[in-house]
Amino acid sequence: MISDAMQDRNGKLEEYLQLLHSMAFELERAMSAISQNSASAFEESLANQEAFSTRLLELADDISKTKQQNPGAGIPVAGDGLSGEIQSASNSLQMLNRRYSALLKFSSHSVALMVSLFSSFQGQLQEGSGSRLKVQTWSCRV
Amino acid sequence: MGGLNTTLLIGMQALEVAQGALSATSNNIANANTVGYTREIPQLSENQLSVSGSHVSGGGVSLDGIKSVRDQLLNIQILQQTAAKNSADTTSAAMDQLQNFFTTSGNDIATTFSSFSSGLAQLSSNSSNSASQQAVLADGQALARSFNATANGLTGVRSQMDTQVSQTVAQINSLSQQIAQLNGKLSQLSAAGKDGGTIQDQRDVMVQQLSQLTGITISNSSDGEVITTGNGSPLVMGSESYSLQTSAGTDGQQRVLDSNGNDITASIQGGKLGASIALRDQTVPGYLTQLNTLATEFATAFNAAQAKGFDAKGNVGKDFFSIPANAAGAAAGISVAITDATKIAMSSDGSSGSNGNVANLSAALTGALPSGSSPADTYSNLLFNVGNDASNASTNSSAIGQNLLQLTNLQGSVSGVSIDEEATNLIRFQTAYEAAARIISTIQHLNSVTMNMVS
Repeated sequence: MISDAMQDRNGKLEEYLQLLHSMAFELERAMSAISQNSASAFEESLANQEAFSTRLLELADDISKTKQQNPGAGIPVAGDGLSGEIQSASNSLQMLNRRYSALLKFSSHSVALMVSLFSSFQGQLQEGSGSRLKVQTWSCRV
Repeated sequence: MGGLNTTLLIGMQALEVAQGALSATSNNIANANTVGYTREIPQLSENQLSVSGSHVSGGGVSLDGIKSVRDQLLNIQILQQTAAKNSADTTSAAMDQLQNFFTTSGNDIATTFSSFSSGLAQLSSNSSNSASQQAVLADGQALARSFNATANGLTGVRSQMDTQVSQTVAQINSLSQQIAQLNGKLSQLSAAGKDGGTIQDQRDVMVQQLSQLTGITISNSSDGEVITTGNGSPLVMGSESYSLQTSAGTDGQQRVLDSNGNDITASIQGGKLGASIALRDQTVPGYLTQLNTLATEFATAFNAAQAKGFDAKGNVGKDFFSIPANAAGAAAGISVAITDATKIAMSSDGSSGSNGNVANLSAALTGALPSGSSPADTYSNLLFNVGNDASNASTNSSAIGQNLLQLTNLQGSVSGVSIDEEATNLIRFQTAYEAAARIISTIQHLNSVTMNMVS
């Protein structure tokens, strides 16, 4: 009986670890999508992040409940190896999350400015061209 | 009187009209979320051709439209983020150096403090042993040296930052001069109706380099391009450059003065200069203050415990630690005042063989200091602050780097991207950011959940 519970718990812990790695991968992918200005890739990654975070919370809830229902009942916590891997993956994810959060903060400001520009402009849209366009705020034809 | 004068006149008109349009657009952006704000719409029109004798001149003004304003915005953002990136890089490099003074090396404060504590525990169980007494004395000296080394290390980084301030100001002045010279050439070429594209590119590279050194603002006036520091002190105005100066302040640190001699040190932000000043005047002094407070309070508490007991000759315990009268130099100047281990006040009643006061000495290491925490906790807080600042600087550096890449990509996405598509793309980003913020909170929450789960 205890063995079944242990097996179930370890299975969940392994899935949890896998999801932490997947989430880390998705954060990297989302940051790369932001850098490349690829909205589709960012949205795709976001959908995965949402799915992973939901499952991670479910698993954490399950594992914690098992732990509370069997306090000291001989069900050991994860083996040292697995426990260490989960902690390490969790720490890496937190570091990435901080970077992700900072990137969103900086990028949000730039994007909000651009969106405001587009939404406030009521002049005639006239595409410019030429290699030095980026430094031409206006053109003066004489 | 066509020719050059008319050309310049029309050029001036163009600048004024375009500035008006930009100003209106900027105002719209600033008030995008203001309830009741009515958008200002720039009115642009083309001037009539002017015919004067055999000269046909004129044409008029045309604002390139949103594309140009967009690129202007992107340029400003890129310059701001470049300054922020270099500020974060400078801070991160300095924090890496600062962290070395706090990492476990055998001679760091945490290790020597722990040894001192162990030595006292040994003394408690074997107070008559002269080797144990000698060990406490040696451990105390090692602890004092750790404080000295850490304080000197911090002061050394502060000096490096001070030198960096002078060097960076010299680089800023050199770049400002070169930009002003290029502006002069550009206006000459422009007046002669020639293409100054190459020079413009050179100038842009230099402006970018300037933004690495300090946060700058670029605007256009009738004098041409105006580059100022973040607080508005001019660096370049058309073909004129305005040098910053440095001068030693009352504390011996270099102050930054604008071309009129006003002290603008406190208002400089961003870039290598902003970071160097912040590290020199805020970050490192903040750590030094915490370290000095710890040294003073700990030494005072330990000396007070000494005074409660008696040494081997039955005399009232004298100060074990000596600290400078000036609290600002406490950590750098702390030393062990006694050289004879029998002067350690072990006895609580003056009788030979008593070790009742060793408990008081040990309690000075674990009891709360006047600032509220035990010495170990106070030092841990300092370590946390240093580690956290280092981590933040590193995180910011990589995040701003990615943001810069995004901006550069936006700037470069000229071909094949329509304005409508780009606007839609950006709005999708904005919506996605809101969802991403929730994920960030969830991941933060997962941290404590994970720790509880596996512990």
